[in-house]
Amino acid sequence: MSILAYNGGAMVAMKGDKCVSIASDKRFGIQAQTIATNFQKIFEMGPHLYVGLPGLATDTQTVMEKLRFRKNLYELKENRPMSPKVFSAMLSNMLYENRFGPFFVEPIVAGLDPGTYEPYICNMDLIGCPNQPNDFVVGGTASSQLFGMCESLWEPNLGPDDLFETTSQALINAFDRDAISGWGAVVYIIEKDKVTVRDLKTRMD
Amino acid sequence: MASERYSFSLTTFSPSGKLVQIEYALAAVAAGAPSVGIKACNGVVIATENKHKSILYDEHSVHKVEMITKHIGMIYSGMGPDYRLLVKQARKMAQKYFLTYREPIPTVQLVQRVAAVMQEYTQSGGVRPFGVSLLICGWDSGRPYLFQCDPSGAYFAWKATAMGKNYINGKTFLEKRYSEDLELDDAVHTAILTLKESFEGQMTADNIEVGICDESGFRRLEPSHVKDYLANIP
Amino acid sequence: MALLHSENRPNYPDYATAPTQHHFSPYADNGGSVVAIAGDDFVVIGADTRLSAGFSIYTRDQNKLFRLSDTTVLGCSGCWCDTLTLTRILSARMQMYQQEHNKTMATPACAQMLSTMLYYKRFFPYYISNILVGLDNEGKGCIYSYDPIGHCEKTTYRAGGSAGALLQPLLDNQIGLKNMQNVKDSKLTLERAAAIIKDVFISAAERDIFTGDNILINIITKDGIKEDSFQLRKD
Repeated sequence: MSILAYNGGAMVAMKGDKCVSIASDKRFGIQAQTIATNFQKIFEMGPHLYVGLPGLATDTQTVMEKLRFRKNLYELKENRPMSPKVFSAMLSNMLYENRFGPFFVEPIVAGLDPGTYEPYICNMDLIGCPNQPNDFVVGGTASSQLFGMCESLWEPNLGPDDLFETTSQALINAFDRDAISGWGAVVYIIEKDKVTVRDLKTRMD
Repeated sequence: MASERYSFSLTTFSPSGKLVQIEYALAAVAAGAPSVGIKACNGVVIATENKHKSILYDEHSVHKVEMITKHIGMIYSGMGPDYRLLVKQARKMAQKYFLTYREPIPTVQLVQRVAAVMQEYTQSGGVRPFGVSLLICGWDSGRPYLFQCDPSGAYFAWKATAMGKNYINGKTFLEKRYSEDLELDDAVHTAILTLKESFEGQMTADNIEVGICDESGFRRLEPSHVKDYLANIP
Repeated sequence: MALLHSENRPNYPDYATAPTQHHFSPYADNGGSVVAIAGDDFVVIGADTRLSAGFSIYTRDQNKLFRLSDTTVLGCSGCWCDTLTLTRILSARMQMYQQEHNKTMATPACAQMLSTMLYYKRFFPYYISNILVGLDNEGKGCIYSYDPIGHCEKTTYRAGGSAGALLQPLLDNQIGLKNMQNVKDSKLTLERAAAIIKDVFISAAERDIFTGDNILINIITKDGIKEDSFQLRKD
């Protein structure tokens, strides 16, 4: 079995009208055995910048710390916030530096540009090949279920409330059909002047 | 001379707290060809003398105005070979930045990095400081930038400045002529006038070089273009 | 001999003369998806018409729905040669039943038979994702879905085949009304079922390269089987 599916997890990010969402499940397991149901996989990297790291849990945490290190140095050196675009380029480079001994994460970046507040989403594979579509990105072990859900639920120019509903429904119904994802979920809705974090109640089996 | 006792190793301070090698480097700069830079409201200009000792010299083959990236350019006063090494390094650093962040390097960042290289050569063994001062001009985040980089690694942000031979006169001239709402065309004119202050002999499109940087990026002016500016100068 | 096994002899792997080994795999994955939705007095089943192997498409026009009787239809996706064999044996068994008992086999009986037939080949299975639909003895729509070795589950909606993972959660949500609050469980109409099938296939064709071209739909009611078709993206 793939190392990427050792701990399980599901993640999705969507673009809306002047807002973006990013959501993930909260399970931490070792293969079929659930260890914890409050595991953080989405991290705040700035006021309008979030990164989700589904995959091998130890790499989730290591990559997050390395990213925080590089991002903090950048922001001190340049005296300005890092844009999601630059963050993704940096992350992509960091992953490719380990081309032949990769971190087993397939990251998702979601945020708003600090200058223009333009919505931005991006995902990449474990060696940093980026993909920046205009609708949604998915990741984790429930990615095919998420593709099916998002492909039919997503529509252009969703407002923050509709975006929350769409993202939540896509995520929950997708991971209910994946044995190693679920056990609670968290959804971030990122708008220009507020970020809403909601924990979702889901079935716990 | 007592200071000679502290002139050989760069890492040795003189009792008065000076690093005299660096002062010698600045002297080399002050003896070099004059250069000038002026920031306008819609761009920035850099210009320098490029005089040749012999009429046999093939002009417009080797340049003093160099592009670092699309939106950053550079000139120098001092020693040509040292300058070319810094140009090479600066271009590399600009590309490296673009590679890591997928975004053109901000002028300030490039200046900081070039300055760090120059500083390194004041504190390392087996090397000497650079015999050049640089003028780095750029356009990013919707505004112009003009910086000077000295052999010590010190850097300054200017609205307008002059370096090289007669730089004090040049600066005084600029202080009188400078205004905040200068247009780029007027700035080029003023820059050429500043060079003319200390110019010995006839100034032509073949013995000065001008670079301008605005919203559309950095470019070196063609001799024919420089000629048009010279035509407007008394 | 001593020369041949000398320690100093260089080793050139390109010139090694080991026997070339050939492998035969008895299975192929020819892709395809099947979706079925059952209502109180009807059942709808749809399958795409693409037949493929890896990155090549054999045909864009392959029916994967097999009419076993006037009230029973089987949808198959997976290994196409297994599908052909299975369905031929099935129709033979249907005919034998007809002649032996002088009546057509009912859908639940057919479902049980299919399970037995699949398990009969427990150690060399038919590599097919089967969905059997029809009307039961009371005339209610029913769906039976199978794994390749005969495990059978009776449901009211099911997606199977290459886009099964993409579509099943969507059906859970839209038909099973899973994870929905404050919605009333209104009766599923035939029109809505048919519309959902079309919608989900459009989504599947976006992301699953093994699903596309067309869908064929069979609508089974007490009045018989009606056919319908619908264009999907063809790239």
